Amino acid sequence: MTVETQSKARLSQLTSDKQLTFIKLAVLSMAAILSFATRLFSVLRFESVIHEFDPYFNYRTTRYLTEEGFYNFHNWFDDRAWYPLGRIIGGTIYPGLMVTSATLYNIMQFLNITIDIRNVCVFLAPFFSSLTTIVTYLLTKELKDEGAGLVAAAMIAIVPGYISRSVAGSYDNEGIAIFCMLLTYYFWIKAVNTGTILWGTLTALAYFYMVSSWGGYVFLINLIPLHVLALMMLGRFSARVYVAYSTLYCVGTILSMQISFVGFQPVQSSEHMLALGTFGLCQLYAFTQYLRYHLSPANFELLFKALLTTLLATLGTAIVVLTVTGKISPWTGRFYSLLDPSYAKNNIPIIASVSEHQPTSWSSFYFDLQVLVFLFPAGLYFCFAKLTDANIFIILYGVLSIYFAGVMVRLMLVLAPVMCIVSGVAASSLLSLHVKDIEPKVEKHDKKKKHENNLVFRSEVGALFVCVLGCLLVSYVFHCTWVTSEAYSSPSIVLSARAHDGARIIFDDFREAYTWLKMNTPDNSKVMSWWDYGYQITAMANRTVLVDNNTWNNTHISRVGQAMASSEERAYEIMRELDVDYVLVIFGGLVGYSSDDINKFLWMVRIGGSTDRGAHIKEADYYTGSGEFRVDAHGSPTLLNCLMYKMSYYKFGLVYTEGGRPPGYDRVRGAEIGNKDFNLDVLEEAYTTEHWLVRIYKVKPLPNRGL
Amino acid sequence: MMPAMAKLQFCVLFLVYVASQCGGANVDVVSSAITVKNVDRTIDISSQLVKINSKITFENTGKSPVKSFLLAVESSSKSKLAFIGGKDSNNKDLRLVETTVKGYDNAKFWRVDLKESINAGSTASAVVETVYSKALQPYPTAITQQEEQLVKYIGNLYFYSPYPVTSQKTNVILNTKTVENFTKVKPFSQLDGTIAYGPYTNTAAFTEKELLVHYKNNSPFLTVTRLERLIEVSHWGNIAVEETIEIEHTGAKLKGPFSRYDYQQDHHSGPASVRSYKTLLPASASDVYYRDTNGNISTSNMKVKKDSVELDLRPRYPLFGGWRSHYTLGYNVPSYEYLYYSGNEYLLKMRAVDHVFDDMQIDELVTKVILPEGTTNIKVNFPFSVTKLPDSLHYTYLDTKGRPVITFSKNNIVENHIQDFQLRYTFPRILMLQEPLLVVGFLFALFLCVIIYMRLDFSIHKSEHPHKD
Repeated sequence: MTVETQSKARLSQLTSDKQLTFIKLAVLSMAAILSFATRLFSVLRFESVIHEFDPYFNYRTTRYLTEEGFYNFHNWFDDRAWYPLGRIIGGTIYPGLMVTSATLYNIMQFLNITIDIRNVCVFLAPFFSSLTTIVTYLLTKELKDEGAGLVAAAMIAIVPGYISRSVAGSYDNEGIAIFCMLLTYYFWIKAVNTGTILWGTLTALAYFYMVSSWGGYVFLINLIPLHVLALMMLGRFSARVYVAYSTLYCVGTILSMQISFVGFQPVQSSEHMLALGTFGLCQLYAFTQYLRYHLSPANFELLFKALLTTLLATLGTAIVVLTVTGKISPWTGRFYSLLDPSYAKNNIPIIASVSEHQPTSWSSFYFDLQVLVFLFPAGLYFCFAKLTDANIFIILYGVLSIYFAGVMVRLMLVLAPVMCIVSGVAASSLLSLHVKDIEPKVEKHDKKKKHENNLVFRSEVGALFVCVLGCLLVSYVFHCTWVTSEAYSSPSIVLSARAHDGARIIFDDFREAYTWLKMNTPDNSKVMSWWDYGYQITAMANRTVLVDNNTWNNTHISRVGQAMASSEERAYEIMRELDVDYVLVIFGGLVGYSSDDINKFLWMVRIGGSTDRGAHIKEADYYTGSGEFRVDAHGSPTLLNCLMYKMSYYKFGLVYTEGGRPPGYDRVRGAEIGNKDFNLDVLEEAYTTEHWLVRIYKVKPLPNRGL
Repeated sequence: MMPAMAKLQFCVLFLVYVASQCGGANVDVVSSAITVKNVDRTIDISSQLVKINSKITFENTGKSPVKSFLLAVESSSKSKLAFIGGKDSNNKDLRLVETTVKGYDNAKFWRVDLKESINAGSTASAVVETVYSKALQPYPTAITQQEEQLVKYIGNLYFYSPYPVTSQKTNVILNTKTVENFTKVKPFSQLDGTIAYGPYTNTAAFTEKELLVHYKNNSPFLTVTRLERLIEVSHWGNIAVEETIEIEHTGAKLKGPFSRYDYQQDHHSGPASVRSYKTLLPASASDVYYRDTNGNISTSNMKVKKDSVELDLRPRYPLFGGWRSHYTLGYNVPSYEYLYYSGNEYLLKMRAVDHVFDDMQIDELVTKVILPEGTTNIKVNFPFSVTKLPDSLHYTYLDTKGRPVITFSKNNIVENHIQDFQLRYTFPRILMLQEPLLVVGFLFALFLCVIIYMRLDFSIHKSEHPHKD
C-alpha cells in the first residue's frame, strides 16, 4: 500500500508527500483516540471509579503522594496495614505509577486545570494506551515500514489482551509499564540500528522508567541480553551493538538501583545475572576482536584458549561461592513458577491461590488475541524472510513471551504488544503484496516482474485475498469491542445484574460496607478480613487491616486463615491476640455472587495450615467422607462449625432466597445450608449490607468477671 | 401574681436603670405599663425540633402610648434557640432587635418596635415563633434495633414573659398517644396526641415552672453536623451549587447488634432509624449528582415537580442512632433566575442555605460564593446575622488572577433560615471575552510554532534528499 503511495508521491512531489503525511497522521491519531475511547466503557456504564483490588492501593498511595509530597511518600511507614507489623510503603513499591500521576496532577493544577486526583488515576491507563499506540507505530516502523506500523498501531489500540489491564479505572502498574516497555524496545532498536550513545542512553532512561513502574522489567532485562547473545551467535555482533548494550547496561543498572525496592538486586539476584554475564561477554568479545586484529592467527589462538579457560574457571567458582554464601539470592517463587508451571501449585499456596497466576488456557489466547493468533506465524515468516538485527529481536520477543503467556495468565499482557507488532507486519506485507495485483499494472511493466504476469486471475485472487483479510480484520474489531465491553469493563466494586423485566439492578454493597466502616467505627479499629479485601478496606474505609494484597508475610496471612478456619473459641484467642475489633466477610449466597469467601475458603484452610502454628488445621477435615466440599447437612462438622461458616451463614437459615426452596438455600453452592440454628458467642453482627454481600461482625470484649 | 412590695421594688429599679442607662444602645427596661392579656401557646414537639408558636395580646395599662415591647427567652433554653421571629396582627414581619435588660443577665431579650404604637388602654396582638434545636433528649439514651425511641422534653409550663400575664393556655402537640409521663398541673387535658394546659390566670413576670413530657418520638432525629454550600456563579448562564453534607443520627444510640434479617423481614423493625429522606431543590435544578468520597451513591430517586425538584435520598446504609454519613449533592441552576444586572452592576439573590430535609437542624453552615474573575465592589446583605470569614481566591480553568470567594458561616440553622442573601458586585462585561481569547491566543501561538518549525530547516548540514524517509 505505502510502497505504491510513495511511488506516486515521487511523481507529484510536494502535494502527495503532504497527503501521505496527512494520511499517516490521521490514521495514527485516530488509532490513539480509539485506544482511549474504547477503554471508557466502564466509566460510561458505571462511573469514574477505581476498579478491583490493587488499583485501590495505588490510588491511596497516589493520594498520599500528592498530599504529602515525595519525601514523605518515600519515607512512608504505613500503620494502617499489616497490623501490628506495619509496612514501609516507600521501600516496597514501584513508585513509577504514583509519581507519573502525581506529576500529571501537579502540572494540571499549575495550569489551573482543577481535575480531581481520582480522575487522573482513572484516566491514566487509557491515556498511556494512546501513547503505547504511538510507540508501537514507531517501533514497527523501525522493524518494517510505516504501513506495518500503522496496522500494528491500529491493532494494539483495541487488542483485548492489553485492554484487560488498562481500561479506565484499572489503575495499575501494568497500565504504564507496557508503554515503558515498548518505549525501551523502540529506543533499543534505534540504538542497535544506529550504534550511537545517545540512543543507548535514551534506552537506559526508558528502562529506568520501566524499572520504576513494574516488576516485569526483569523480562526486559533478560530479553535484551538474549538479543545481544543471539546476535553474537549469528555473527551479527558489531560495534553498534557493543555501544548500545554497554551504554544501556551501565547507565540502566545504575539508574535502576536508585529505586529502593530494587536496590542491589541488579548485581546480586540471579534473575539479573544474564544481563551481567552478557555485559562481560560483550567486553571479552570486543577485546578478542581487537586482539585478533592486532595478533597473528596462531598467537591469537593460543591466547584465546588460555584466557577462555581461566575466565570460565574463575567465573564458575565465583558464582558457586557467591550463591553458597548467599550473595546471589536464590530465585523467587514467582520466577520459578515461570519456568516450571507446576512449581507454585506444589510449593507455595499463596501464589497458586491467585487466579491471575494460573496457567493460560488455549481458549483465552483466542479470546484475548483473536485473529492475531493466526497472523502471528505469518508475521514471523516475514521477519525471518528479511532477517535484520531488529527482526531478530522481535522474533525473540515473540517466542519468549508466547512461552511466558502460556505459563501465567497475567503475562498475556506482555504477549499482546508483540502479537500486534508481528501481526501488523504480516497484515501489511500480505496486503501490500496483493493490493498491487488488483490494479492492472501499466507503469510497472518496465520492472523485472515479467514472470509473475504468467499467473492467471491475478487481480481476482488479489481482490479475494484482500477481501478475506479485510473480513478478518473487521471481525477482529467486532470481537475486540465485544470482549472489552462484556469481559473487561466491569469495575468489580459495583456489580450489576439484570432483573426479570430487563431492568438493571446495581449491587453496591462493597462501598456500602466500606463507607459504613469509615463513618461508624472508631478511627483506630482493626479489621480482619481475607487478604483480598485489604487494599480496598484501607483505601475506602480508612481502617487498619491485618493482611492485604501485598502478600509479603505468609505467616501473618496464615494466622488469619487459621482464625477463619477454627472454631469460635479458638478463633477468639487468635483475634484477641491480633487485637481485632471487626471481622469482615464476603458472602454471595443470597444473590449468587460466586467469588465469595466460602468459595475461597479452601485456600484459607491450606494457607492457614501451611505454618507451624496452624498444624492443627488439616484440609481433609473440611471435606466430607467422600472428599467433597459441601456446606449442606452432609458437610463435615469441622466446616459447619468454623468461624467463616458461622459468620457467612449467621441468621441465613431463616431467609427464603428462591421460590420453592427451603429457607437457607445458598444460591452459589446450590444447597440448603447444613447448620442453620446457631448463635454467635464471641461476635455480634455489626452490619450486613443490603444484599448480604458484605457482613461485618464486631468482636465482643471479654465478659466481665462474675457474670 | 407579684406581691405589691416586689412590684414597688421593680419600679424603683427601673427608675434607677433608666437614669443610669439613658441613651445606651441595646439596653432596655421592662415597661411597667404593659401587661399581657392573653397568651395562646402551641408547643409542637412531634418532630426533632421544638417549635413554639405564641399568640400574644398586649395591653397598655399605662398612661402614655407604648412603641415597643420585649420578648424574653429563659436562660435554660437560650443556648438551644435556633430561630425567633414575630408577626403582627396584619401578618407582617416584625423587626426584632436583640437587647439586654439589667438585672436579668441570664435571660435573652429582644425588643420589638411597633409601627403603630399602642395607645393607653388599648391592645395589640402579635404572633411569635421560636424554634429550638436539640431540646429533646432521648431517654433512654441507647435503644436496641427493635425498640421505640422515647424522648424527654423539658420546658416552661408558663409563657416566659417580662410582663405579668393575665391568662394563658398551652397546647403541646406530640402526635402520639404513647406518653410515659408528663407534668400534671391542673387544669390540663390529654387528647389524641395533644396535651392542653390551662387556662392559667395571673402569672407574674418571669415565672418559670418545669414542664416535662416523656413520650415516643420516632420521627427522624437527623442533624447535619456540617454543611458546606458552594455557589459558583458563571456569567455564561449557569450557577453551580454543591453541598457537602455531614449528617448524624442524634437520637437514641443503637445498642447491641444490627440484624439485617430483622430489618428486611419486618418493616416496623428499626422504627427510630432513617432509611431515606427527601431533599427539595429549586424547580430549575438540573444535572443533579449525589456521591461521596467512594463514588456515586446509586440509591436515589428524582422527581421533577411543578415548583421544585424532589430528591429521595437514601444514604448507603440506614442511619441508626449514633451512625454518621457524609455525601456531596450538586446541581446546576440557570443564572437568569438568580442573577440580575443593569450595565456592569450585578445583583445575586440566592438562598444562603437550602432545604436538606423536613424539620432539619444544621449545626454549622459554611456558604461560599465564587464570583467570576475580575469582579470588584462586592457588597453582601445577609437576612440574618452571620460570621463573615476572610475572602479568598479560587483558581480553576483558564483563570489568571483568580476568582474572588465570599465566605460566611452560621451555627444552629433550621428551616426558618432558608432565606435569600443579596450580593452586589461590579463586573465589566468586556472581561467575558478574556477566557475565549486566552484559548484562541494559545492555539494561535501553538500553530505559529508548528508553522515556523515546519518551514524552517534547523539542521546544521543540509541533507541531500529532504523528502526521502
